Amino acid sequence: MVRPKLLLPFVIIGVIAVVTVLALTAPVSAAPIGSPQSAGRVFDPPAQQTEQYCLTCHGNPDLKITLPSGEELSLYISADQLKSSVHSPAGIECEACHTNIKTFPHPAITYQTRRELSRSYYEACKKCHPANYDKTMDGVHAKAAAAGNLNAPICTDCHGAHDVQPPAQPRSRISQTCSQCHQDVYNIYKDSVHGEALIKEDNPDVPVCTDCHGVHNIQDPRTAQFRVETPELCAGCHADPKRMSKYGLSTDVYSLYQTSWHGVDISVYKANWPTIWHDSAVCTDCHGVHDIRKTEDPKSSVNPANLLATCQKCHKDAGPNWTSAWTGHNQIDPQRTPFLYIVDRFYGSFATSVLWVCIIYVALQIIHAIVDRVRRSLR
Amino acid sequence: MSAVSQSTSTLRSRGVQTIRFFARFTLGQRWEHLLLFVSFTVLFLTGVVQKYRNEVWSQDILSSPERLTLIRNIHHIAAIVLTIEVIYHLARAIYLLARRKMSPAMFPTWQDVKDAGRMIGYLLFLTKEKPKFGKYNFEQKITYWFLFFGIGIMVITGLIIWFPVQAANLISGAIVPAAKLAHSTEAIVAGVFVLIWHFYHVHLERLNLSIFTGRLNEDDMRKYHAAEFERLTGESTDAPDRGGQV
Repeated sequence: MVRPKLLLPFVIIGVIAVVTVLALTAPVSAAPIGSPQSAGRVFDPPAQQTEQYCLTCHGNPDLKITLPSGEELSLYISADQLKSSVHSPAGIECEACHTNIKTFPHPAITYQTRRELSRSYYEACKKCHPANYDKTMDGVHAKAAAAGNLNAPICTDCHGAHDVQPPAQPRSRISQTCSQCHQDVYNIYKDSVHGEALIKEDNPDVPVCTDCHGVHNIQDPRTAQFRVETPELCAGCHADPKRMSKYGLSTDVYSLYQTSWHGVDISVYKANWPTIWHDSAVCTDCHGVHDIRKTEDPKSSVNPANLLATCQKCHKDAGPNWTSAWTGHNQIDPQRTPFLYIVDRFYGSFATSVLWVCIIYVALQIIHAIVDRVRRSLR
Repeated sequence: MSAVSQSTSTLRSRGVQTIRFFARFTLGQRWEHLLLFVSFTVLFLTGVVQKYRNEVWSQDILSSPERLTLIRNIHHIAAIVLTIEVIYHLARAIYLLARRKMSPAMFPTWQDVKDAGRMIGYLLFLTKEKPKFGKYNFEQKITYWFLFFGIGIMVITGLIIWFPVQAANLISGAIVPAAKLAHSTEAIVAGVFVLIWHFYHVHLERLNLSIFTGRLNEDDMRKYHAAEFERLTGESTDAPDRGGQV
């Protein structure tokens, strides 16, 4: 029995516990209601009135001013360009983004440089696209900007300003967009198995830049974290039977990699120490990054002719025999790896027979010992 | 063979029981077993953690990259100890056998096959009599030779996967994945064998500590090594026992 006097502390603790739980859970459950997920159409159906009005001046190709930096800023807006963008036909007109211009004559321009102007106006994108805007805040480009690089891309650098187009029509548009800054990478990529299929055939299965790097929250691919996640990234397509069967590619590559020495090491690091760099090979170490080619391609880093040199990047002392140690993401096979096949078959039957012989023989001995003991006690 | 049989009867009449012990293992052999026992256990435990390093329970043990390196180093040190022990054991055995200073009792003979057949008949209640075993019965010979070849495989494959580049340069690359498979499978086979077969025979069937003490008492000699007992003492084991366990 608990005396009433002793009950009081428990009541107090109980009340505190209940209040704490409520206080902790309440904001979590309330959050989604207020979150700005309703990024749809904010404006009424097309009126096309302000646009017409603005273009009476801004339709003049010669309209321009000089900024304090000395840069020339053209104020001409092509009506055709506006018409073919995604926004204008949807009724999203000038004042949706140029929120500071409400009167004519306009307030004086205070921007010192063209870049300052761009970096100021792109904030308007956030009004309608808050989710993507927030994502960019986690990306490498925002970090570069925060570190002082004002040339780091903002929304309009990739999507355009007055001429915003659907970003992935055709898909190669994405890679070309990135190439505006990353020309060197693009030049390598366009000759790779992925890039060539994208640019020449508009292949829907090959990755464009954003498929691997992410879209708005692009992460630094040079980190240990990105490295240990690489196999999974590649497996997104290369372990997908539907996609791979079209090209006669094996989907075993990922599962066999995972059981390999390299793969197990990487998965241990991924599970436990993702931020600690580990040198065990991931896909890109052997196959290349932007320059991935078919194994048959003589320029491929994993072509039999180049394989040893690729292995030697890590296994410095490897000799010509070394490549035969590599089973090449293949199942154990009597033709390809006869010795491994024999050892595997031997242990397949040997291990089970040893286990069963041990169990049966010892079980017989135990049964006999029990029967003996029972007999003795009955004697 | 430290028989103390002369005064046995007089002592028995006074209520004192004497137990005869028979020398079984030399001090060197006992030390060798201890070394094998310790290195095998360390190798098995540190090896299993590495073999299953993809599993959660293993990763709980491998709590840091340094710990993984430590476990690998312990495994390698124990491997060196075991390898030295194996080399010593082989060299000593070859030397003593060549000089006829050691009985070749551990080598399998046709008698062992017959013993095994009769033992199975006995276990299946087909015959009443247990076969009379020599110094090492066929179960013990199986234990010895199974581990003899098992450890041989482990030492060779272990060296291959420890020095894969050198092994490939020396022989062929094909042995590396095969050695990895063999090392990791043979380890489990050997572990299971020791746990089921050897542990049953030395712990459950009877507690046989002769490998640590070096000697075996008369009762166990009569029961498990009857042929050897008869050879050593000239006494028959068929006569009714004088108050022993059986």
